[in-house]
Amino acid sequence: MRRRYAAVLIAAALFTGACGTEPEPPTEKVAVQAVVQAEGEHNDTDVMYLQMMIAHHEQGLQMVRLAAKRAQRSDVRTMAAAVDAVQSDEVTMMKAWLTKWSAPTTVDHAPDAHADHGGLPATGPNEIAALRKAKGPAVDTTFLNLFLAHQHSAVEMAGTETTGGKNAEVKALAQRIRDSRTDQIKQMLNLLNG
Amino acid sequence: MRRSIAYPLVVLGAVGSTLAVMSPAQAHGYVSTPPSRQALCASGDVKNCGPIEFEPQSVEGRKGLRSCDGGNAPFSPLADDNRNWPATAVGNKVTFSWVKRARHRTLNWEYSIGGKIIATVPGNNAQPDSVVNHEIDLSGFRGRQTVLAVWNIGDTPMAFYNCVDLNIGGGGGNDSRPPVAEVKPPVEEVKPPVEEVEPPVQEVNPPAQAAPAPEAAAPEEEQGKSGTEWARNTAYRTGDVVTYQGARYTCRQSHTSLVTWEPSIYTLALWMPV
Repeated sequence: MRRRYAAVLIAAALFTGACGTEPEPPTEKVAVQAVVQAEGEHNDTDVMYLQMMIAHHEQGLQMVRLAAKRAQRSDVRTMAAAVDAVQSDEVTMMKAWLTKWSAPTTVDHAPDAHADHGGLPATGPNEIAALRKAKGPAVDTTFLNLFLAHQHSAVEMAGTETTGGKNAEVKALAQRIRDSRTDQIKQMLNLLNG
Repeated sequence: MRRSIAYPLVVLGAVGSTLAVMSPAQAHGYVSTPPSRQALCASGDVKNCGPIEFEPQSVEGRKGLRSCDGGNAPFSPLADDNRNWPATAVGNKVTFSWVKRARHRTLNWEYSIGGKIIATVPGNNAQPDSVVNHEIDLSGFRGRQTVLAVWNIGDTPMAFYNCVDLNIGGGGGNDSRPPVAEVKPPVEEVKPPVEEVEPPVQEVNPPAQAAPAPEAAAPEEEQGKSGTEWARNTAYRTGDVVTYQGARYTCRQSHTSLVTWEPSIYTLALWMPV
């Protein structure tokens, strides 16, 4: 418990200067990578998982940023904005870990190279284009369905890391991703049909 | 400043481990809207469905079955008609949306009611996009009906089964929606420009006692009350204050809380220590 408090206090210290009464723009929110390090040993699965999740997150961020602007329902916009905030931090953190390991932060992105077995993001340019083209309430339903597929894919990808990864912090990240996305799938099904 | 802090994992594991999540070995696809029985189980609208709650996309069985559970014993609650499945009110034309995880080459999609096929959509042995929408004409049917929606795979003997309970002509919620955009190859630039994210929709400096959300929240979702203990599935607004494990945090991004979104070093985008 004492270590946890220490971490929070340091996080608080990082923000003291910027934490006035005005909400900061989202881009200035991030400081997680400064305090969370993936120390200890890692293996190829850790590296591959982080690289794939960065690519996956970046496609997800394209979708939530479109939805945060264009969805008609405020609850859908709020959900999208919150995912943007959390996943942007995760991307920053994952990139910092890979950089510290002197590993590339990008993955070979050949279309459909591994799409059948969970190797690459479920969503690609077609899906992003469909979302950009949607109008009216179809923005909300198109986004929710696409993001459902996206997060189902994130849950599945987490399994490769929790079983084959080595680094404790990366495995914990995969578990958090699995748990939060599973809960988010439930939330989105409720938004879709509630 | 020390920049290297190992955050103890056990603290976070405590929340995550309460959720008995299965890792689906193979995850494929299901009808998300109107909600199939597996979608209703995954959303929590229908309780005590067993493992299907965590893998609604996995109702796979050999082709040619007529069962809601695809012959999978662990998913047999899906085939239990006595569960009082809620029926979605729809008009005569219904858009069925499939969420696909693995995009198998597709023989076709078949829709049937009472053993009679009412629509077959060809798959052309192609890999579908991650979301597939079909508008199906149900004008020959009225009242409560169970549609069996089947995704027949092109390159395996398998299919994916969904039962969708509908009340046709019963007010037509689904029918009133504008057509869902079709997924087609992109006509515009593949990589959209990096967009400036506008500050999320939120009031600047909301009062501590936040006004009610402008739209009704999901039925079982709680509206967060400032100053209370953090809880899951609760709508928090920017400026709300919660307590969590003895410390106080301010919400800096409106959201509905999820598992692992409790205040922590990993959720500084949502919560700031006070």
